[in-house]
Amino acid sequence: MSADPHDQTRGETAPQFAGNEHAPLSCNEAAALCIKAARGVGMSWGMAEEAGFAAAWLVSQGIDGPTRLCSHLEQADGLDWEDLCPAVTPGAWQNTKGQAACPIILGATLCDYAELPEGPVPNSEISLGTVNSPILLVPFLCELGRRNELSFALRWNGGKLRIDGTKEWLNLAAEALSVSQLSLTLGVENAPCHQPCATTSPNAQTTAATVAALNSFAMRTTVPATEASRAGAGSTLSDND
Amino acid sequence: MSVTTPISAPDVALYMRPAAEVMRLARMGCGHPTRLSFLRVMLRRLECADWEIDRPVWKVDANGVGHGVYRVRSAERSYSLVAFAHDLPPEMRSDRVIATAWDATFTLFDGEPTDADIERLAQNVPYQETGRVTSKELTLARANRSVRLFNHVVEALSEGRQPDAEEIRAVGYLMRTTAVYGSGKFGASDRIYIADRPELAAPFQVEMLTVWLIRAFTVDIVEHIAAARGGVNAVKLDRATRRSLGVGNSTGLGMAPFIVRHPVLLNNWIMSREEALARVRAQRIADPQAVEGLETALSEAVANAAIWHSEHPVQRDKLHGLRRDLDQLAEALVGWNWDGDLPWNALWLWGEENLGLEGQEALLSLMLEPHGGLVDDLADHMGADEAASFRINGAMPVEALRHVLETAYDWALEIDFSTPENNARFWYVSEEKLEPRLGERATEDGASLEQPLCIARLIAELYETVRTFDGSAPVAALLLSHPEHRYAVRRAQIAQSHPYAEVRDNLIAADMLPIDLLRCKLAFFGASQFDPRSDRWVRINLFAGAPFPDEIKQEASA
Repeated sequence: MSADPHDQTRGETAPQFAGNEHAPLSCNEAAALCIKAARGVGMSWGMAEEAGFAAAWLVSQGIDGPTRLCSHLEQADGLDWEDLCPAVTPGAWQNTKGQAACPIILGATLCDYAELPEGPVPNSEISLGTVNSPILLVPFLCELGRRNELSFALRWNGGKLRIDGTKEWLNLAAEALSVSQLSLTLGVENAPCHQPCATTSPNAQTTAATVAALNSFAMRTTVPATEASRAGAGSTLSDND
Repeated sequence: MSVTTPISAPDVALYMRPAAEVMRLARMGCGHPTRLSFLRVMLRRLECADWEIDRPVWKVDANGVGHGVYRVRSAERSYSLVAFAHDLPPEMRSDRVIATAWDATFTLFDGEPTDADIERLAQNVPYQETGRVTSKELTLARANRSVRLFNHVVEALSEGRQPDAEEIRAVGYLMRTTAVYGSGKFGASDRIYIADRPELAAPFQVEMLTVWLIRAFTVDIVEHIAAARGGVNAVKLDRATRRSLGVGNSTGLGMAPFIVRHPVLLNNWIMSREEALARVRAQRIADPQAVEGLETALSEAVANAAIWHSEHPVQRDKLHGLRRDLDQLAEALVGWNWDGDLPWNALWLWGEENLGLEGQEALLSLMLEPHGGLVDDLADHMGADEAASFRINGAMPVEALRHVLETAYDWALEIDFSTPENNARFWYVSEEKLEPRLGERATEDGASLEQPLCIARLIAELYETVRTFDGSAPVAALLLSHPEHRYAVRRAQIAQSHPYAEVRDNLIAADMLPIDLLRCKLAFFGASQFDPRSDRWVRINLFAGAPFPDEIKQEASA
């Protein structure tokens, strides 16, 4: 891709911002960019969709999910699935290699195991180990809470947070979990949690630097042009007829 | 699972065509617009509800440069198309989505723009992808003149005469859009924020409203320039000529992946249309007014087929078949026995027996046309809450997943992907233009960066894994040891409850025609005169023959 911010010849949305600009992405833009970036760093397509879901969910709540995802992708770049996935056993979901868990893989897998005994069933506690960009777990937990009428208690060294029936929990989560890593324990309770509404002022502020970094990961999913590929894509005619 | 899937009454369900018949690319590539097409849905709402349409701003100079605002408002809400007219040198005019300058650029504003909004939009909309819009805007679009016809019409009107009818017929529109972006692109409002408004619940309603108002702009700008040039001698387009004009659109490969990437949406489009056909077929008797309506619709279809031209050999053959089919249908209708039991079903069965795919799909459209009261409510079921079917059911046993693959994807498992012709191509995104493209696996680089659009092969790969995996284990465990199948598992679980979710063909086969995917989608938009210029891009016409803003009210009340 041309690095020229004035290049007008792009075929689809790939937002570019310069310098220290704020970058107000729509949810759709955030999802599309994050899916491609996650795929560019090596996630499977299906898991990359989960990354898009989580980032867009946070954007819809006015939280800068793309920056947190970007920070995780920088750490996950070059790692294998085994380095990032949890080993699912009752009560303990740590990575077997002792690495920090990917919050996307962890969140999606918690949802996959929602109805299974090793999973986040009511009145259970799961030790999750170290989790990168833990705010990215929140969209999955909120989804789990909605589907199975659950609340959660997250604990870490020196802190705790409840995802429950109170309206304030998301603000507290945004504050406490927007960090690069935490070693977490997840408690699961049998009570519905408050479902926050999408913010009335959408297009969360992320930064030009985040967009540029995600774009550079996303570009790894693209194929350099050849004469053959240029030939077939569309009209090569003048439009003066 | 979709919450909007229409449920057929048992007697209607008998007449639903199976997905194995409907979802084949050859048939999808013969789709015709119907009264459930999205532009028809939009026009019906404007006709019926209490919407006022006007043009409060028109600041355009004698060279046709400036801006105008077209406003559509009800008691509760208004929408404004802000149109910027430019003076584009001929060498910069290109049909491609990746062009860099246009004759006119547009945005649909949510509400009524202030002067400050217009000022902000003037700094961004003319630059399209390199500008930014905000959540106050719903779409971003641009159009180029059909130079030959545009100049001819300006010249004629400025000299006080009407343009040549043959020239009008040969092109059919004054301007062509090269992109109409919605759904949060370039900073515009996300669909989630507007989808609960009744007028925008059906798919692509903001895009259709944008294009319909652009159509009004194309006539206003041509008449404005003619008046500036001809002064008191200039005349306006006569109403019948104006009515025949649509808005052209050029569409390439970029649109093809859409219907593959949105399985629930595709299911709901097709299911609604099929339910509509089934309801018509299930009627025990034929209402004489409906029979008359069918005949009127048929003569309009014959007229449309007569002016529908294409140079593309595939489409030329299809058009030949369509004209022959329509003639045959007209002959059959003379003396058709409408008094028998289930007469509409009898007509449909006759069509299946006697017509080609073009003719059959045209007959579907014709049979729906006089049955608005019976089928129009189905438009309310064509949207999709895709988030509702995103979450994977991890508790499903692997053996149940295997059963889904063997039943819903039997067509995919029959394809032998080890043969070069079945594995001939790959979909990718070009680094240079970020466009979706289709490469030849044997001769082009980049297959390792293939996009997940060949659902059949992804499903076949999943099946290979599932066959030897512990059948009693949950899907969650399968995905933990095989994360590469997450995408295909999600598709399969969607397909389980959405029978029309998948295009049942090999999308990387050597002989696959991407224009068939385009035609299916564009027919649902309501495009007439589908004109492929290669096997990968097409021109179409939207809204030809439809009312203009100053006509829609009086016709609705007439």
